[in-house]
Amino acid sequence: MHKEAAIREPLILGHKTYHDITNDVCHPIEDKAPRMWYLLFTIAAIIGLYGVGTILYLLGTGIGTWGLNKTVGWAWDITNFVWWVGIGHAGTLISAVLLLFRQKWRMAINRSAEAMTIFAVFMAGLFPLIHMGRLWLGYWVLPLPNQFGSLWTNFNSPLLWDVFAISTYLSVSLVFWYIGLIPDFATLRDRVKNPLSKKMYALLSFGWSGRAKNWNRFELVSLVLAGIATPLVFSVHSIVSFDFATSVIPGWHTTIFPPYFVAGAVFSGFAMVQTLMLIMRKAFKLEAYIHTKHVEYMNIVIMVTGSIVGVAYLTELFVSWYSGVEYESYAFINRFSGPYAWAYWSMMTCNVFSPQLMWFKKLRRSLLFTFVISIVVNIGMWFERFVIIVTSIHRDYLPSSWSMFYPTAIDIGVYVGTIGLFFVFFLLFARFFPVLPIAELKTILKSSGEAQKNSPDKHH
Amino acid sequence: MNTNEEYFESRVDMSAPSLSVDEFLADEQTRESSTNRRDFLKFLGFSVAAATIAACEAPVTKAIPYVVKPEDITPGKANWYASNYYDGNTFASVMVKTREGRPIHIKGNKDFGYGEGGISPEVVASVLSLYDNERLKAPLMNGKETNWTNLDAEIAKGLSKSSSITIVSETVISPSTQKIINSFSEKFGNVNHIQYDAVSYAGIRTANMATFGKAAIPSYDFSKAKTIVSVGADFLNGWLISNIYRSQYAKTRKPENGWMSKHFQIEANMSIAGANADERLMVKPSQYGLVLSAIAEEIGADSFGVSPGEFKGNTFVKSLCASLKSNKNESILVCGSNDEALQILTNSINYKLGNYSATINLNDEVNLFKSEDQKMNKFVNDAIAGKIKGSVIFYNCNPVYSHPKGAALAEALSKIDLTISTASWNDETASSCKFVAPNHHSLESWNDYSPTKGYLALAQPTIKPIHETSAAQESFLVWMGVAKRVGRESKVYYDFIRSSWSELATQSTEVIGFEDFWNLAVHNGMTKIQSYAAEIPVMNVLTSKLAVKKLNGSGNYELTLYSKTSLGIGNQAGNPWLQEMSDPISKITWDNYITMNYQEAQEAGYNVVMDQEHGASTAKISVNGVTLELPVIPTPGQAKGTLGLALGYGRGENGEKIGKGAFKTKEYGGYEEDNGKRVPIGANAFKFVSFNTSFSYIALASVAKLDSTYPIASTQFQLTAMGRTSIVKETTLDSFINDDSNGYNLPPMLMTHHGPEKISKFDLWASHPVEHIGHRWALSIDLSSCIGCGTCLIACQSENNVPVVGKDEVRRGREMAWLRLDRYYKSTDEMAIGTKKEDFTFTGLEKNIDENPTVVFMPMLCQHCNHAPCETVCPVAATTHSNEGLNQMTYNRCIGTRYCANNCPYKVRRFNWFNYPSYKKFTEINPSQDDLGRMVLNPDVTVRTRGVMEKCSLCVQKIQEGKLVAKVESRPVVDSDVSTACADACPTQAITMGDWNDVNSAVRKASSESRAYQALEEIGVKPNIWYQTKVRNHSNQELRKHQQKIADKRKHDLEKHSHGHDHAHGEHH
Repeated sequence: MHKEAAIREPLILGHKTYHDITNDVCHPIEDKAPRMWYLLFTIAAIIGLYGVGTILYLLGTGIGTWGLNKTVGWAWDITNFVWWVGIGHAGTLISAVLLLFRQKWRMAINRSAEAMTIFAVFMAGLFPLIHMGRLWLGYWVLPLPNQFGSLWTNFNSPLLWDVFAISTYLSVSLVFWYIGLIPDFATLRDRVKNPLSKKMYALLSFGWSGRAKNWNRFELVSLVLAGIATPLVFSVHSIVSFDFATSVIPGWHTTIFPPYFVAGAVFSGFAMVQTLMLIMRKAFKLEAYIHTKHVEYMNIVIMVTGSIVGVAYLTELFVSWYSGVEYESYAFINRFSGPYAWAYWSMMTCNVFSPQLMWFKKLRRSLLFTFVISIVVNIGMWFERFVIIVTSIHRDYLPSSWSMFYPTAIDIGVYVGTIGLFFVFFLLFARFFPVLPIAELKTILKSSGEAQKNSPDKHH
Repeated sequence: MNTNEEYFESRVDMSAPSLSVDEFLADEQTRESSTNRRDFLKFLGFSVAAATIAACEAPVTKAIPYVVKPEDITPGKANWYASNYYDGNTFASVMVKTREGRPIHIKGNKDFGYGEGGISPEVVASVLSLYDNERLKAPLMNGKETNWTNLDAEIAKGLSKSSSITIVSETVISPSTQKIINSFSEKFGNVNHIQYDAVSYAGIRTANMATFGKAAIPSYDFSKAKTIVSVGADFLNGWLISNIYRSQYAKTRKPENGWMSKHFQIEANMSIAGANADERLMVKPSQYGLVLSAIAEEIGADSFGVSPGEFKGNTFVKSLCASLKSNKNESILVCGSNDEALQILTNSINYKLGNYSATINLNDEVNLFKSEDQKMNKFVNDAIAGKIKGSVIFYNCNPVYSHPKGAALAEALSKIDLTISTASWNDETASSCKFVAPNHHSLESWNDYSPTKGYLALAQPTIKPIHETSAAQESFLVWMGVAKRVGRESKVYYDFIRSSWSELATQSTEVIGFEDFWNLAVHNGMTKIQSYAAEIPVMNVLTSKLAVKKLNGSGNYELTLYSKTSLGIGNQAGNPWLQEMSDPISKITWDNYITMNYQEAQEAGYNVVMDQEHGASTAKISVNGVTLELPVIPTPGQAKGTLGLALGYGRGENGEKIGKGAFKTKEYGGYEEDNGKRVPIGANAFKFVSFNTSFSYIALASVAKLDSTYPIASTQFQLTAMGRTSIVKETTLDSFINDDSNGYNLPPMLMTHHGPEKISKFDLWASHPVEHIGHRWALSIDLSSCIGCGTCLIACQSENNVPVVGKDEVRRGREMAWLRLDRYYKSTDEMAIGTKKEDFTFTGLEKNIDENPTVVFMPMLCQHCNHAPCETVCPVAATTHSNEGLNQMTYNRCIGTRYCANNCPYKVRRFNWFNYPSYKKFTEINPSQDDLGRMVLNPDVTVRTRGVMEKCSLCVQKIQEGKLVAKVESRPVVDSDVSTACADACPTQAITMGDWNDVNSAVRKASSESRAYQALEEIGVKPNIWYQTKVRNHSNQELRKHQQKIADKRKHDLEKHSHGHDHAHGEHH
């Protein structure tokens, strides 16, 4: 077994045995849900239903119920889309990239992070659908054989690339997440007493028997999927950024977008993981598994990606001046001094300034501070997308067409609604699925468990 | 099939009778019935199938073929009829397009029409008013619908009893109508006929009476003028017959001729003419007399004792006079005031300059605008005083709305025994009358007109009367007892016109038989009776000093009432196309407002930055005790201390049914209501008109700022072009004639390793196969010729079924116009529009507008790019490039991602945010939601559904039609085969359409002119639309030097390049 240096901070605190891990993860599922869960679920469901209502109104009446206009054809819809896709980046990064790099600390967070990814991608996928003027014909974006003559999709369109990128990402993430869940479902199957639950978990666990062959294949598949998923981490947001980068609009037409978007996505994804983990570890009493060290690691990722994003912002500014293109220059002058300057400076403060505080060890190890910053970062990242999308098109080439964008109640309703729906999904996940990977945590208990690490002899 | 028979039962049954077979068999009663089980099943099957089929069936749209095909109607083929339009204020010769018997589009009669068929937005939009569901459908008696028999009987009875009859009419320019009125007067005796124009030009007639002994309005010919001076006259919009002055003016604005007219405009409001002027001076309306006097003194004309005051020695006046003096006989000075004294001064100046020999023709008198202001004023005062007895007939006029004492007149009318109106709508005046005998719409009726002494025009019906209406002339004849009603097929007035024309035919210089004369007139719509050449009249010597009228009222501001290009004087205020037409100057739709000097408004705390959510500050404006509450729009170029306010709004104050588009609607549909009455759009500025021997449209006003704001629906909030070089290009005539074109029209360059190269040389993609193969449809738009009248906007809307979306949607930036008119003012950080000063700041470009800015109008539409950014981004290939260079939109395929609109650098794509043809928000305003209004739709163009993108198609349906014509005639397509609605409508020929691949086409030639450029050329989208650089005939040394510098640099670069190239070449050998 891999031996870890004693001075390295343990990843599992306290004196946990294998059984403790199983118990700690399974108890919240087996026990009655706390009142808090019901309360949160109700709130989330109400908000989610409100969102569904606004979406139905939108679909029934027309896109005009949003605040868009002839100049600003995308605003909150695509902002929310990119924001949710970005959030959905952390899961795969954590489970795939960190797996390939053998980062053990990922074990504590990857399950929830992946779940979050999937739900975030659900929410993201909603927006390209409902932003269509004629959703009922949305299937035309798929290259289906048809009777319309020789009609085919336009493979030049980045929007079409998006369709493939997002659907691939969603399916690979879903499979990856599910494969990881199989041994844990089997554990639950073996533990639960309610026959219905037993039946369900039995179905979900695909007849996992825990034999060496099972484990061997499990490990192999995980590794293969990690290999497949890793490029997706970079491709999805690169392709999303092509929606803008391949256009002719100043402020969109930027070659820096793919890496900048990926960094931003990881940045916001980790922030969202932080937000959720900090609540979950308290609610599910998982402090031993997700603790300061994990938070610190993630904060470092946030700090690094935040800095990359910051560099990207400054590069954009520099290039807009250096290019000598008047439209390009004005697009950025307008960003920081125009009518949406408040959005630009909110973005700068949240995304560039606030993560720099993580240089202070005390701050990056403070859970409260982390919680605040994680929310600040996601606000900032929402503004980033808003700034890119709206402040670029609201004043582009012809000043005659310049306009402002004002959101309507439906814009807000749909956005808030997706947050509600996201939490509905996440709370259901937390209630019925093992939120930590039981099997995987056990693999690091010996090497990184606090008790085991500090008294190796006793253990043998 | 009867089954009344015994069934065979098995032998077993006989031994086992307990088996109750009977229960399964039909009993007696059933057997008796004629319907058995099988029939029942058949019926069931049939009815289920029938019900299913009926349920599945799409709504039946009736398309019934002609059983007997009318001789001149071929389904799918348009018929064009020459006709004429006259509404009491505008006269225009038109061509009416009809499809399957219904008129759907109007354009100018450029071949034979008066003034080359100059039209205005109102004329084009009148086709929609024909289908206004609020037009009267039957005559009214005491506000209730009745039939003609009853109405005629009552009126004839009333008229015969009347001691006196007053006829108040629009200016009658119809010889036949005049004849009918004359015989009406003879028949009844004691008839007082008053001609009354809502906007009067009586001052011009009385001035000509005083100076030349002829109460006439002369024919002006701006095309012959080398110097044009206008003092407060917007001769390109609203002033006299401005729709024909436009094309005359444009002829003097083609720099390729080697000369251009020099246009000086002296005015208070920023007018359309002012926006086109080469030199513009802002003065208060009260100073017009001083300016005219200064001009008169400077050129040595008699100023009749009017002092030039502060304008003595004014440099602007001096330069203007120098230009006038150098263009004697070839100049023109017009004045917009209705004050006789100012018009006498104008005459004096024109006389001195010899203009009566060419540009001003007093012999070919204009028959329009014969307003008898004094008679009218006496009538109104008498009526209010209760002195009018007997009968009053209002023929095609609406004084209750347009007279300043309208409200009191309405009350007075109720006390008069017999009041009749011939209005087509139950308008303000009609609804105050006991009887309304609704007149036909001008497209439903025969009529004749004589716009000037020398011309005779004929209006022919293009549709059978839709409602139970009657030509007013017929009504007069019926009431006189000389004709009988025969319903909608009536030929009474037609026969009358023919008989009166048989006399006129003899006057014609061309000697042909009457039938030929008549047929030719019907075919051409216009015939010239006689030519009246201009000749210098004898000027009377005025003995007394002239007294310029003081402005009426009190207050710190001088208010000028004007009319917009869209609504005019409000005759068609209920027409939603006109209401939604964006004003070329303010870009505002659906409202009238106070225009105020930009800087002054800013200092006084009025809101200067407006958008969707930030409306205009409101103010109370009072003139002579009448107060209106209106939004204030800070307007660059408005003289300090002056205000402007558009006439024609505020119609239907008492909820009169004057048209669906005239009233405010609520956000989610339905009309806004106040005490159960609909609320009119805007306020009636006619209340500010004052009378002092003639009507005056300027007054002193006081303004009190209110704290509230008012939502403004504008299609453009940005004032300047931000100094961007590749949108609008502008130069001066000097530079155009003398300097290198690279100075003002340098194509965008890219720095390469062997010097700068034209960007057009580089291309990421293979060139589109449209170049040099087959057709390549293209457009050239001359910014020098475009005067911003906006006729093209309505023509486009009419041709392409562009929906009307209402104020709330326009406010949200969702107007659907396929063609728009961008308006840019010059900022203080620019040398000219599109050329930044060296020390510019971006914020300055946004905010610091010149106090008296120059203006450019730029028609903007889909540029049909050969490398269209919209085409690459559509995921479903709903927008693609045709092999004829058109960027085409496939509505059926569009799923509405709006990516194309975002990626359009010109922002010309329009999205169907709602289902305009059915959503409740648009019920009151969108004609396609109205059974009758729908008739105006062009059957060749799809009505778009919600969720799809649309945009200019370059009138692909017209191109297709043109191609077919050429094909049938087995010849190549030539310029005259194809056109767009905008190019057809343009009174100044600013838009040229054609096949760019045809080297002989006008558009190909235009695209290779030195002024030709493409907007945003440097982004490489390769548009099929060319613009021609705006040329101004004024001196701008700063700009010229700057342009020379650019040209020199280019020359230097080219020399260096060719030198370097030779060098390299030598080395190679």
